[in-house]
Amino acid sequence: MQLDSKIPDGPLSEKWDRHRFELKLVNPANKTKSKIIVVGTGLAGASASATLAELGYEVMTFCIQDSPRRAHSIAAQGGINAAKNYQNDGDSIWRLFYDTIKGGDFRSREANVYRLAQISNNIIDQCVAQGVPFAREYGGQLANRSFGGAQVSRTFYARGQTGQQLLLGAYGSLSRQIAAGKVRLFTRREMLDLVVIDGKARGIIARNLVSGELEKHAADAVVLASGGYGNAFYLSTNAMGSNISAAFASYRKGASFANPCFVQIHPTCIPVHGTYQSKLTLMSESLRNDGRVWVPRSPEDRRPPDQIPETERDYYLEEKYPRFGNLVPRDVASRRAKVQCDMGKGVGDTRLAVYLDLKDAIEKDGRDVIARKYGNLFEMYEKITAQDPYETPMMIYPAVHYTMGGLWVDYNLMSTIPGLFVLGEANFSDHGANRLGASALMQGLADGYFIIPYSIGDYLAKSSHDTAREDHSAFNESSLQVETRIKKLLSIGGKRTVDDFHRELGHILWENCGMTRKEKDLKKAKKLIADLRAEFWENVLVGGTGKGFNQSLEKAGRVADFLQFGELMVMDALERKESCGCHFNEDFQTDEHEALRDDENFCHVSAWEYRGEGSKPKFHKEPLEFENVELTQRSYK
Amino acid sequence: MTKAGNKSCINLKLKVWRQKGPDVKGRFETYKARDVSTNMSFLEMLDVVNEEMILSGKDPIAFDHDCREGICGACGTMVNGRAHGPEKGTTLCQLHMRHFSNGDTVIIEPWRSRAFKVVKDLVLDRSVFDKIIQAGGYISVNTGGAPDGNAIPVPQESAEKAMDAAACIGCGACVAACPNASAMLFVGAKVSQFTLLPQGLPEAKKRALAMIGKMDELGFGNCTNETECEKECPKEISIENIARMNREFLKAGLS
Amino acid sequence: MQWGLNWFICTLRSSIGKKLIMALTGLGFCIFLIAHLAGNLTICAGEDAFNSYSERLHALGPLVILTEIGLLFFAVTHVFIGAYLFYENFRARPEKYLIKKNAGGRTIGSVTMPYTGLFILLFIVLHLVDFHFVEKTDQTIYQIVLETFSNPGYAFFYIVSMIIVAIHVSHGFWSAFQTLGVSNSGYMSLFRVMGIVISLAVGFGFGLLPIYISFIS
Repeated sequence: MQLDSKIPDGPLSEKWDRHRFELKLVNPANKTKSKIIVVGTGLAGASASATLAELGYEVMTFCIQDSPRRAHSIAAQGGINAAKNYQNDGDSIWRLFYDTIKGGDFRSREANVYRLAQISNNIIDQCVAQGVPFAREYGGQLANRSFGGAQVSRTFYARGQTGQQLLLGAYGSLSRQIAAGKVRLFTRREMLDLVVIDGKARGIIARNLVSGELEKHAADAVVLASGGYGNAFYLSTNAMGSNISAAFASYRKGASFANPCFVQIHPTCIPVHGTYQSKLTLMSESLRNDGRVWVPRSPEDRRPPDQIPETERDYYLEEKYPRFGNLVPRDVASRRAKVQCDMGKGVGDTRLAVYLDLKDAIEKDGRDVIARKYGNLFEMYEKITAQDPYETPMMIYPAVHYTMGGLWVDYNLMSTIPGLFVLGEANFSDHGANRLGASALMQGLADGYFIIPYSIGDYLAKSSHDTAREDHSAFNESSLQVETRIKKLLSIGGKRTVDDFHRELGHILWENCGMTRKEKDLKKAKKLIADLRAEFWENVLVGGTGKGFNQSLEKAGRVADFLQFGELMVMDALERKESCGCHFNEDFQTDEHEALRDDENFCHVSAWEYRGEGSKPKFHKEPLEFENVELTQRSYK
Repeated sequence: MTKAGNKSCINLKLKVWRQKGPDVKGRFETYKARDVSTNMSFLEMLDVVNEEMILSGKDPIAFDHDCREGICGACGTMVNGRAHGPEKGTTLCQLHMRHFSNGDTVIIEPWRSRAFKVVKDLVLDRSVFDKIIQAGGYISVNTGGAPDGNAIPVPQESAEKAMDAAACIGCGACVAACPNASAMLFVGAKVSQFTLLPQGLPEAKKRALAMIGKMDELGFGNCTNETECEKECPKEISIENIARMNREFLKAGLS
Repeated sequence: MQWGLNWFICTLRSSIGKKLIMALTGLGFCIFLIAHLAGNLTICAGEDAFNSYSERLHALGPLVILTEIGLLFFAVTHVFIGAYLFYENFRARPEKYLIKKNAGGRTIGSVTMPYTGLFILLFIVLHLVDFHFVEKTDQTIYQIVLETFSNPGYAFFYIVSMIIVAIHVSHGFWSAFQTLGVSNSGYMSLFRVMGIVISLAVGFGFGLLPIYISFIS
C-alpha cells in the first residue's frame, strides 16, 4: 500500500483554491441519486450531514445518543480560532497557520494546516449567520480573547459554552435538512462494522441500541465523524460513550490508523479523587489567562495554601518560561505539572495536583470582573469539589483530553479505503503531535462545512453509480461477524465486569503511555495489555442479552476495541523514537528537559495497516515535507 | 489513587423505577447502596450499585448519561421528587452525594410525561424535542455565502440574553418539573434566542408558529405559569423566555 | 397549522391561544372585581348611599344588560377553556410521580387554580341567586344584603369565598401578563406585586363587608 496524501502542487496559499477547481463536480441531478452515510453528529458529522444534504445528496446520519445534539463536541468550553484579525493585533492566516504547525511540533501537513487557517474565517461567518450567540463588544462587534498559548486574540467564544453553541448551530442546520426530508436520522445506533465491496466503502452495520437488532445500511460513500479515542485511558474528559469502535472497525477493514500515540493531556482538569471516579472534568484553559500555577517550594510543605508565603511558592511556569508564563501550550503545561508532582511537590490529599490561583487577578480586577469571566467555571468547580475558588486556589491536574491521532486521510479527507471519509477528531490530519487550544472546533467545522462537500463530490463523480444494496453478500458477512462477536461477549460469563477491565486498561496506559513515556515502560505495557485482553475474552461478565437495551453490552464491545487499540497505541509510541509534542519519551529530551525531536528520522506520519488478528500491523510512513516553514525547536521561554 | 479525601461514607436505600420496555408496566424496586463516598457524583453512586448488580447476575439499572459535566443533557431523573435532585442549577451528573445523609431513602424515577416514553428503567425517548427543533428551531441559511461575521452588529445585551436562552441543554427537566408536563420553557428558550438576534428576525413569525404548533401536536401540557420549570432548569433559564415567545405568538397571529 | 384568515380558529386551537383567552377574560374579571368592590364599598357611607348607588347603576339600563351579557360570555369562555386546559394538562402526565416536591415556583394560588376556579363558579351561581335574581320589589338592596348576611353560616361562606377569590387572583393577575408576553423581568415583578395587592384588596374589601354590616353599621 502506498500512502498518497494527494497534496496539490503550487504555492501554499493557492493549493486549496487550485484543488477546488480541479475537483470534479457532481451533476445536480446525480446528487439526489447519491447516498451518503454519516456516522456521528458532533461538529464534523452534523455540519457535514447538513451541508451535504443542502447540496442535494441523500444523507443518512447515525448517532449513538438519543439526540444528535448530545455529541461530545457540546462540551468544548473555551472557543474557536479564526484568523480574522478583528483586534488588529497582527494576526493573519499565515500566523494562524504557523502557530498551528509549530504548536503541533511540526508533525502535521503544511497544506492541510494552511487550508484550515484559510477556512477558519468562513466558519465564523457561517456560525454567526446561524445565530450562534458569540460574545460581543459594546459596539456590537464580535469579541475575542487570547487562548491556549496564542499571543494574539483570535478566539471567538460564547461564554464557557462555545462547543455547545457551535454544535447547536450545526444541529439546527441538520434539523432543517431532516425536516426537509434530505437527511434520515438514526439515533441510538452504533456503527459496528464497515462494509467494503470491491475495495470501496459501501455501507455500515449498525446496532439499534434500543431493540438490539443489527441493521444493514448501504450507500455510495461513508463519512466517519465518530470522535477520538481518549476513553482508552478510562479516565478522560471525554463523554462516557465516546469510543473508537466505528473507527477501529474501519481499521480492521483496511483503513490505516495514523499516529495513535498522539494523545493530548490537558493541563487544567479537576484532579482524581477516588477509585470509583468515572470521568474527569476539564476546567477551561482560559483560566490560565488570569490564574497563576504554583506548588510549594518544599515537598515537605503541607500547610494549607493561604498559609504558604509568596517566597515559599514555586510559580514554576512563570519561572521557567518567562515569555509565555502560565500560557505555555498544553503539552508543556501538563508535563511540568507532572514533573512537580513527581518531585513530591504535588498538593491535595492525593498529592497529584497543583494550584491554579486567581487570587492576584481577583485583587487586581475585582471579584465581579473575574466572576463575569469565570463564574460558571467556579461554580462547576465548587459543585464537584465543595471548595470555593474565590477563597482558596483551585487544584488542577492534567487529564486525557483529545487525540490528535486517528484514521489516516489524504488531502481530500479520504482514508486508505476509497469511499471512506474521516472528519474531525476521528482523523489525524491537522494537529500534528499537539493541538492548540480552540483549534478542535475549528477543524471539525472546517472538515464538515467546507472540505467534505467538495472532496466527496470528486469521489462520487469519478465512481460508477451502481449503488450497493443491503442484500449484497458482504453485508451478510459483516453482519454475521458482528453477531458472532456479540454472542461471544455475552457467552463468556466470567467474573470481572466490563468497567473493571476498562479501569485496568486505563491505568496501564496512563502510567506507561501517558504524559511521559519510556521504552522500558512501553514494552511492559504492551505485554500487560495483551494479557489483559486475553483475560477479557475469557473472564468478562457482561450480563443480559443481545436483544433490547443493554448498556453493559454496548460498553463491552467498546472496551474490547480499546483493548486491541491500546496495543496499537503503545506500538506506535515505541516506534517513534523521539519526543515531539505530546509524545514525550524521556529517552529523548534536551538538557532543559524539553522534547527533543528527531527531524531526520521521524519527520513523518506513522500509519498502521491492519493485517489480521494476531499479526503485527504493517507500518507505513508518510514523509512530511516542509517547504514554507523552518523546523525549529519549539521554545516558549 | 488513595481513598483519602473521602470525608465520609454513607449508606442509602434506593427506591428505583424499573421498567423493562415502553409497553411493559413498571414498578419500584428497592436496593441498598453501601459505603457511598460523599465525594461521588450521583451517577457514580449508580455505577457502583450497577457493578454489584452485574456481578450478582441482576439486570443493572439503565440510565442515560454521557458527558457527566452538565452540558450534554443526556442525564436526568427525579430524585426525591425533584428534577435532577435538590440542588439549584445542577444536572444529575453534577449532583454529589455530600448532599445526602446516612440512612436516607432516595426515590429515583424517570421524567414523566405523555410525550416522553420510557425506553427502559430511567431511560427516555425524548425525540419529541428534536421534532420541535426540526419544525423551525434554526435560522435557514445554507453553508457558504454568509456575510462577514461583523457585518451585522449585535448589541451586547441582546447577545447576552440570547446566550442565556441558548444555554438550554435539552434535558427535559422543565417538562418533568412542570405540573402540566409542558414544554414551554424548552420551546420558549429556542424561540427567544433567535428573536433576540437580528439574524433570526426574517423568519421569526414562521418559526414561532411552527414550533408552537409542533409542541401542541406532541402531547405536552399547557403552561399555567407555575414557574417550576425555571426553578428546576439546570441552566436556570428564565421564564422571561416563555413570555417572549407568547409575545411572538401574539405578534405572529396579529400581523 | 395553517394560519391566515382563520387565525382566530388557529389561535383557539393553539395552547398559547387558549391561554391568551384565559388571560384576557381573567383580566376582564379583575376589572369587574375592582368596579364591583368600589360600588360595594359605598355601603360604608350608609344605607342611602348604597341604595342610591344601586339605583343609579340600574338606571344605566341597556348598558348594564350589555355588560351582563359580556360578563356571562367571558365567564362561559373562561370556564370552558379553563376546564379544557385542565383536562389536557391532566392527560399530559398519564403516570403520576410517586413523590413530587415543589421546587419553589408554585404558590397556593397557582397550585389551586382549577379548584378555586370551580369553587368560584359555584359561588357566583349562588351569589347571583341571592342578590341578582332575588325579588327586589318589597325591599331595598341594602335590606337584602343585611338580611342575607345576618345568617352567620352564609356570612362565613361568603368570607371563605372571598378568600378563595383572592387566592385565585393572586396567581391569575400576574399570570395573565406573563401570558400576554410581558417579558421584561422588571415589569414582571411589578405585576407580581400588583397581583398580590389586588388580591389582598379583593379579599379584605369583599370579605370584610359582612363583618362590617353585621357588627359595625
